[in-house]
Amino acid sequence: MRPARYILFFAMMIFTGSCITEFIPETGDNADMLVVEGLITNKAGNNTVKLSKAQSLSSKTTGTPYTGCTVIIIDDLGNITPFYEKSNGLYITDSTFAGVVGRQYKLTIRTNNSGASNYTYESVPMKMIPVPPIDTIYYEKQQYNPGSGTFREGCQIWFDSHDPDNKCHFYRWDYYETWMFQLPYVVPNSICWFSANSNVINIKNASILTENRITGYPLTFISPETDRLSLKYSLLLNQYSISQDEFEYWEKLKKITDEVGSLYDVTPSFIPGNVTCIEDPTQDVLGYFSVSAVSSKRMYISGRFRGLAQLYSQCPSDTVNDLKTVEDLNKKRWVIESNELVVPPVYVLTRIKGCADCTVRGTKDKPLWWDDSK
Amino acid sequence: MCLSLNTVINLDIRKMRGQLKILFLILALFYGSATEAQQNVQIGWDYSGMSFHDFVAKAESQDSLRFFYMDEWVSDIKLGEFKGPVLLSDLLDVMFRDKSLFYYIDNSGNVLITRNFAIKITGSEASPGLNFIPSSNYGDQDNQKTSSSAYINIGNPADRNKPGNAILTGYITSSDTKEPVAGVTVFNQRLSSGTISNQYGYYSLSMPRGSQQLQFTFVGMKEKMVNINLNGPGEMNIDMNSTLIPLKETVVSADRNMVLKRYEVGAEKINITSFRLLPTSMGESDIIKSVLLLPGVQTVGEGSAGFNVRGGSADQNLILMDGSPLYNTSHFFGFFSAVNSDIIQDVTLYKGGIPSRFGGRISSILDINTREGNLKQFKGNAGISPITTHFVVEGPIKKDTSSFIITARTTYSNWIFKLIDDPDLRKSRASFYDINAKYTYNINKNNKLDFSGYLSHDSFRFSSDTVYSYDNSILIARWRHFFSSRFLSLVTLNNSNYRYDVSGESGTTEAFVLSHRINSTGLKADFNYFLGRNEINFGTDLTWYGVIPGSYKPASDSSLVKSETLAKERALEAALYIDDKFVLNEYVSLNAGIRFSSFFVFGPETILLYDPGFTKSRSSVTDSVSYSAGHISKLYGGPEFRFSMNFKLSNSSSLKINYNRTRQYLHLLSNSASIAPTDTWKLCDYYLKPQTGDQYALGFYQMLHSRSIEASAEIYYKSIDNMVDYKGGTSLVMNDNIEQSLVDVEGKAYGLELMIKKPEGRVRWSLGYTFSRTFLKSIGKFNDEIINKGKWFPANFDRPNDLVVTFNYLFSRRFSFSTNYTWSTGRPITYPVSSYYTNDIYIIYYSERNKYRIPDYSRLDMSFRFSGSLRSHKFANPNWTFSVFNLLGRQNVYSEYFNNINNSVVGYKLSVFGRAIPSLTLSFDF
Repeated sequence: MRPARYILFFAMMIFTGSCITEFIPETGDNADMLVVEGLITNKAGNNTVKLSKAQSLSSKTTGTPYTGCTVIIIDDLGNITPFYEKSNGLYITDSTFAGVVGRQYKLTIRTNNSGASNYTYESVPMKMIPVPPIDTIYYEKQQYNPGSGTFREGCQIWFDSHDPDNKCHFYRWDYYETWMFQLPYVVPNSICWFSANSNVINIKNASILTENRITGYPLTFISPETDRLSLKYSLLLNQYSISQDEFEYWEKLKKITDEVGSLYDVTPSFIPGNVTCIEDPTQDVLGYFSVSAVSSKRMYISGRFRGLAQLYSQCPSDTVNDLKTVEDLNKKRWVIESNELVVPPVYVLTRIKGCADCTVRGTKDKPLWWDDSK
Repeated sequence: MCLSLNTVINLDIRKMRGQLKILFLILALFYGSATEAQQNVQIGWDYSGMSFHDFVAKAESQDSLRFFYMDEWVSDIKLGEFKGPVLLSDLLDVMFRDKSLFYYIDNSGNVLITRNFAIKITGSEASPGLNFIPSSNYGDQDNQKTSSSAYINIGNPADRNKPGNAILTGYITSSDTKEPVAGVTVFNQRLSSGTISNQYGYYSLSMPRGSQQLQFTFVGMKEKMVNINLNGPGEMNIDMNSTLIPLKETVVSADRNMVLKRYEVGAEKINITSFRLLPTSMGESDIIKSVLLLPGVQTVGEGSAGFNVRGGSADQNLILMDGSPLYNTSHFFGFFSAVNSDIIQDVTLYKGGIPSRFGGRISSILDINTREGNLKQFKGNAGISPITTHFVVEGPIKKDTSSFIITARTTYSNWIFKLIDDPDLRKSRASFYDINAKYTYNINKNNKLDFSGYLSHDSFRFSSDTVYSYDNSILIARWRHFFSSRFLSLVTLNNSNYRYDVSGESGTTEAFVLSHRINSTGLKADFNYFLGRNEINFGTDLTWYGVIPGSYKPASDSSLVKSETLAKERALEAALYIDDKFVLNEYVSLNAGIRFSSFFVFGPETILLYDPGFTKSRSSVTDSVSYSAGHISKLYGGPEFRFSMNFKLSNSSSLKINYNRTRQYLHLLSNSASIAPTDTWKLCDYYLKPQTGDQYALGFYQMLHSRSIEASAEIYYKSIDNMVDYKGGTSLVMNDNIEQSLVDVEGKAYGLELMIKKPEGRVRWSLGYTFSRTFLKSIGKFNDEIINKGKWFPANFDRPNDLVVTFNYLFSRRFSFSTNYTWSTGRPITYPVSSYYTNDIYIIYYSERNKYRIPDYSRLDMSFRFSGSLRSHKFANPNWTFSVFNLLGRQNVYSEYFNNINNSVVGYKLSVFGRAIPSLTLSFDF
């Protein structure tokens, strides 16, 4: 070998040396801290406090509800509003209660664990700041994954908002998506509605803008990999006015959820919210008690999009001519197609119940607000 | 039997051959049982008025002594009056005064009397049948005047009988290059006292009048023994020859006494020759890598920039190149140090006992002195390794007066990326270069000037289009002036500049360049004054800083990025210092100093004032204050006490104690575990206080096995105030009000460092073990300023156990083998422990800070060196080095990090070196 090739050989070895291996982190730490998700708005029937416990990393559930707590809010005039536990860990006010803009609210939680030690948790008093209405929500068809060969379309949603009074300096948004979908088979339950909450932090600091106007905020992109765009889609956008402290809380949370995992990784740390434990101030309390005026706006999308993924295309598993011979019919196998006009009749079966019944995934009940005309 | 290196007799064979034959024979016959030399034979009988001959006859019968001498030497000696029991040695001292006669009393009661030369035997383990070869002159063909065994008269002979000690001073220069040699041990073995030449090659030693023998030793230089008749104060300049062995790698180290003589606990002089013996990581000798082998020095991980000394963070080390600060110390994400080893003359790391002339960082000083060009002849060396190529050229401009040296190094790694099949990697680019140049001009005996420059550049681009580039540049002018032989000065003027640019989104309307820049201009004046048993150092140190914390600008005309530049920071650091190295007596010496440092923060700037009842944030701003240009917005300062004491316990052991306080006026803002590409330097300001460190250390040093083995144990305790940590989730880039993101932290560190090593000979080894802990604690009172509930938590670089073993074997002058092994506890890490959902967002909750650890680190390296020819002047003499880094191929974990994949946590272990990495380096001397 000539020296130059030696050098090449060694150099190649150097540059393929580093490696990354995956593992599942396991610790014996007991970490069932209280998680508070509180939201008081100026709308009646919309005021909830959800209490849960953080869970170990191996757990696949979405949290253990914290039941049996006494939950109240006190405003700056001394009015006490109690909460009732509607379902496990979900506490609500009387449906007539609504927050008042300009007033301050403080959350108090008292645990009622039998046997174990009990704690009182209190939030910082939070003032309700007025929020302007949302101006418009709009969308645009966009090509998805251009250059991949097949022409596919997704949908980008934007909205505009502005506050002529310039009282709302920090915005937070969440949204609630609902869409209609249809199974591509002739089955009794073929059209359903499905809903999902947003799971991304959307915030904006308007105090650094010369004019309190938000134009073209990119809310979300709906990919053709889902069936959101297959029939009709609706999105309810909620706009909240939050304090600077709350804004900073969400900003930091966004940072640690988005930006972890690189060679120069930022040392992860706990982001304190606004709820603390009275008896043991060193306890980490997760989550935030949010008090905010809310304005909402709904939009519909019912255009035709090309190249959508066919979620139910892999359903058929068997074809039979006589249903009587099928064991466990409607238990392990379901009919998704039947043609009794031919002789012998043909029945197409599936082993996935969701392919034969849309209520497995969604609900057959059309939401009350659903507007067929839009 | 071979000759022990520590047995030294200085004889001039040519002059005295006849007489010596007899003596050698006698020695061979009588050098029997090896016990303590009987210097302390007592004469208890009356010898009043006896002739020497009679005295000897009686002594031989009474005290079982045997005398060897020639009659004509002693014919005129008469003894004085007997006044009571007296030591034989004292008696002989009196009798032989002014007679050029010397004696040696061995451990069997033989008294050997010699004329015109002295027999000196050191070490207590001479073997029977020893062959005496005058080792210092071994192979020395060009015998210098000063190395002959003839006695050199120093001072006025009329002063000889005056009381008290006399001081000998002088300069030590290299006979090859005429450069001063710093760090030469000047040692009087009989008195067990000595000194070390300073940076100008100057030494000063106080001794009793009379005949004395001095030993001059230095790494890479032939040991030199000089006999003097010290009549009074005087001067003696010494030329030292470099060893004849042509390979730098096989130079025999000889500063055996150094470890005992230095005042400082925790000062480590890195031997440039043995550092070159270490296995290389990618074919490059690396100064920082060799620093990491010292006890008490650790790193966050391989391939990370910076190092941690005794529980200090990486920004707490001051890296000085010829007295000028170097802000970015690494190339290639930390794989190589930024200083080319070709230019290094010597390197000293002060882990503790930091002399008062240094300041500005609290953990350590890495003092790198660069070489001066050869004053006699042109020389050069060029080398090639898989990653880099480098060369050095040096030579005289005017022979013996002025010289130059230029070194340069560059990578050519880009072509490697182009060959890689992976499309992401193929788009990656990485390259660096560095250049050093130095011009030295010896104006006259008392004045010397040198000018040097340093330039380094790094540029890398990962698969993305983000390009990182780094630039260091340093300019230095130094003037050495000797007011007298005892009073000298060094004035240094330097400018050091460091900047980085990160650019991205090129070609789009968001094309940007993010830049950071620090520039410092320093004026330093150091004075050394030798006064009797004192060496007084004093001086001043002024540094002007200008920092642009960050600027974010459009990268092209078509870019719509809004140009933004954070307010420039300006400050002056000013310090005065004085210290005294004082030899109290034969057993105790001390070094006490004070450095008064101050820091002036200058406007223009606008400072936000905060409500003290709340954590500093945008919402707690109450007011702001503006300072115009030239006005001082904040002043910090205070004394820094430095104190070291050395107790000599015996000829081969000493105990040292040390205290020092240090202050640091700039911080490196970094919220990642290791130094990251976008970390920025930040000067102290209205809110950011200077870091202060107090270190207490105690060290015990013992020479074993005829001083060939050094053993040491050091313990230290350190407390650090005003360190900073960061509030969760804050961004440090383009952050205009950084005080809102900082958390006040204090630190404490303690440790035990054990070291045993055999630094010379054909077989060399060392074994170092360090136990150390470093803890931090947040001291803020607001919720977001508290880390781990305000309890102590381990620092990122807290690695309690650290073991380093090195072994070198020099098979021959042409072939050597070297290996080292490192094992240490993994660094601490914060683990995810649980998860929760808030507003349907999956969030990971992490453990207490640094509660867990990554796996232990273990690495074995090995290298072989082969020299093509022993003839040092043969043209294009090739040297081959074959190294294997991480020979065991262990996938040491550098970092563990975690990602949220579909709402569950997946951990990743990153190993920087996943396998054994061989490399082959070729270099030529020309």
